[in-house]
Amino acid sequence: MMKTNRIAIIVISIALIAIIGGTSFAADQKKVTIKVLNWAQGGQEYWDKTAEAFSRENPSIQVEYESVPFERYYEKEGTYLASRSGPDVMANNLGFELWERAGAYKDISKRLTPKIKRSLYDYTGCALAFDEKLGILGIAPSYQGNLMYYNRELFTNAGLDPNAPPADWDTFGKYAVKVKASGKAMLAMGTGHTIAYWFFPEIAKNFWKSSEDIQQFMRGQIPWSDPRMRKVLDFMAWMADQGWYQEGAATTTMLPDAGDVFIRGDTAMIYGIASDVFNWKTWGDAMGHQNIGVMKWPMIDPKAPFAGKFSGVGGFSVGIAAWTKNEEAAWKYVEWMASEENANLFLKLAGGQPNNKNFDKSIITNSPSFTKIQSIISNNMPHTGVMLSGRELDAISRGYEQIILKQITVDDWAKTMQDALNDSDLKKPTAAIWNH
Amino acid sequence: MKLGNLGTSRGKEIGWIVLFVGPGLLLALGIKFYPLFRGLYDSLFFFEGGWKPVYVGLDNFHRMFLDKTVQQTFFNALKVMLTIPVWVLFPLVLAFLIFQETAGWRVFRAVFFLPYVIAPIIVGQIFREILGLQGPLNAFLGLVGLKLMTTAWLANTFTAIWAMVAVVLWSFSGLGIITYLAGFATISDDIFDAAAIDGAGFLTKIFRIILPMTVPVIGYWTVLCTGGMLLWMFPFIHALTEGGPGHATMLPEYLVYITSFRFFERGYGTTIGVALFFVVLTFTFFQVRFMYEAGAPRQKQKGGAA
Repeated sequence: MMKTNRIAIIVISIALIAIIGGTSFAADQKKVTIKVLNWAQGGQEYWDKTAEAFSRENPSIQVEYESVPFERYYEKEGTYLASRSGPDVMANNLGFELWERAGAYKDISKRLTPKIKRSLYDYTGCALAFDEKLGILGIAPSYQGNLMYYNRELFTNAGLDPNAPPADWDTFGKYAVKVKASGKAMLAMGTGHTIAYWFFPEIAKNFWKSSEDIQQFMRGQIPWSDPRMRKVLDFMAWMADQGWYQEGAATTTMLPDAGDVFIRGDTAMIYGIASDVFNWKTWGDAMGHQNIGVMKWPMIDPKAPFAGKFSGVGGFSVGIAAWTKNEEAAWKYVEWMASEENANLFLKLAGGQPNNKNFDKSIITNSPSFTKIQSIISNNMPHTGVMLSGRELDAISRGYEQIILKQITVDDWAKTMQDALNDSDLKKPTAAIWNH
Repeated sequence: MKLGNLGTSRGKEIGWIVLFVGPGLLLALGIKFYPLFRGLYDSLFFFEGGWKPVYVGLDNFHRMFLDKTVQQTFFNALKVMLTIPVWVLFPLVLAFLIFQETAGWRVFRAVFFLPYVIAPIIVGQIFREILGLQGPLNAFLGLVGLKLMTTAWLANTFTAIWAMVAVVLWSFSGLGIITYLAGFATISDDIFDAAAIDGAGFLTKIFRIILPMTVPVIGYWTVLCTGGMLLWMFPFIHALTEGGPGHATMLPEYLVYITSFRFFERGYGTTIGVALFFVVLTFTFFQVRFMYEAGAPRQKQKGGAA
């Protein structure tokens, strides 16, 4: 009897071990690894923490990041798009940059619940042509848009009220005279892609009469010879003639140097954005948060319907690759990136403006600029900088450099812009975007 | 060859050849030839938005021939290639100075080679600061009374491309010097001794001894420089000017990059790349042929002497 009991105990033990081991084995087998391609926007520390935080909530999914420096990102991403293999999730800036790659992403419009949509400042930025009926290609964890930052101390030294930054360009010009008299330049400038993304939309918004104007511009239906577009180029050229920029502003690779110029205190103001780089955190960490002021771009015509609005759009999107074999795991990750938890991490570690409205506002208490930005972004409009095609973006940046250097006229510039528009396949009526 | 022959010494010999040559050949096929033919294939397609590509035949080539920006980039490439004599002679003179073992020649040899080991992108970023409007070069020119010469070297439409070429020359000359030194080492010392006895000066030695006896090395370096000018300038362009101001420093290889990866026009970018390939092939063909024809009489002489 005892021998039988011993045998029974051994057999049952072995069976239990086999079941538990088998279950663990099965669980391990169900563990999925998803690969995410990004440019470590916001810093590697933030991304490492997101992987940890996400995996805590989703133990069966492991996240592997492939972070590529932004200068090489398109090259790397391009090879994956060409081979239609590689990462399960990819990042892209919004607008045409994302739409140009639309065939590489899965449409997640059916997955976006009303609750998710309500929680975000912007979700249509990830939709083709900002129209969710055409398909949504991802979710943006961050919110982005154009601002101007200023050095409060230099304003004070110039005899200006740091609590009353210029709201229109006339006042800006008067402030510039005083800043120049104090021995500084007014506005740090670096030509490059920022001309297209950060500069152009802030001048153009003074000339849009309606949302239909913006739609037409997006679809390439407004030529650069149109009076509205010509006024934009003329005004940008006029700004270059005012002596507001620091010496040597006009080189295509000047952008990071412009940041140095502002931090050094050689200029009173700089244009920048809400998230990522050249933002309240960059300047505040370098120059002291109490010394940094922020404002919307000045207006040309305060009565224009869009003049006082914040040009906003999702900062970057994360979307599911069209070739992924781990679609459900990839969706869980994308969905989590739009969550409140990620928003808090993004703000705390990356210093970016979260797209989720429900982030913990008490995380940042030392930056008056960040607090002010929360009120600025609530009055927003579509960001027309991301509606420039790749060719238009290149032409406007190159052209502005030459305008500052007086190498070309505005007529020449308008012509190159029109040539760029004519060569932009995605802005033709036959483009797949509009016929998808 | 029958399998049964593998056991023979001939079979073993072939086996060893395959073993040593095979991997290299596979690598060449995979890394060189496959992308080339794939590029030729892709240039016949229109790629849009990551969707399925559409076959367009020679439309991309037709567009390219009419594209003024493409024309400008190849014109810029031609301007750059006009500086080939400098690329050939500058390191040659420096190499000969080192070869003569003048005082400190070992130090000079190391110092001249140093730029070559610095990553091109770093070189570009350093020189972007040096050549800036408020950079050290302009400061120096002002200091020595040449303020009139100061300019934004990389933003001036005329000077930008030459400034860029100067930077690349600075970076690559070290390799040329080492290449030439290797060539000089094959010249018998007796010849230099005889020339010294005959009272040959520095220039005479260069033009009567060095140049004629190192034609193959010069030819090799010229081919390398031609390829380099057309294919290796990318990191410098990217760091210094991104092809600006306007398109003043845009070369075809950089245009391929921005067309393919910034404009996301993969088919059209590949087309420009294919055109660049044929241009490089043409130049290289004639240069190598010249080298062969120049070297053939010398080979015949050596064969006759033997």
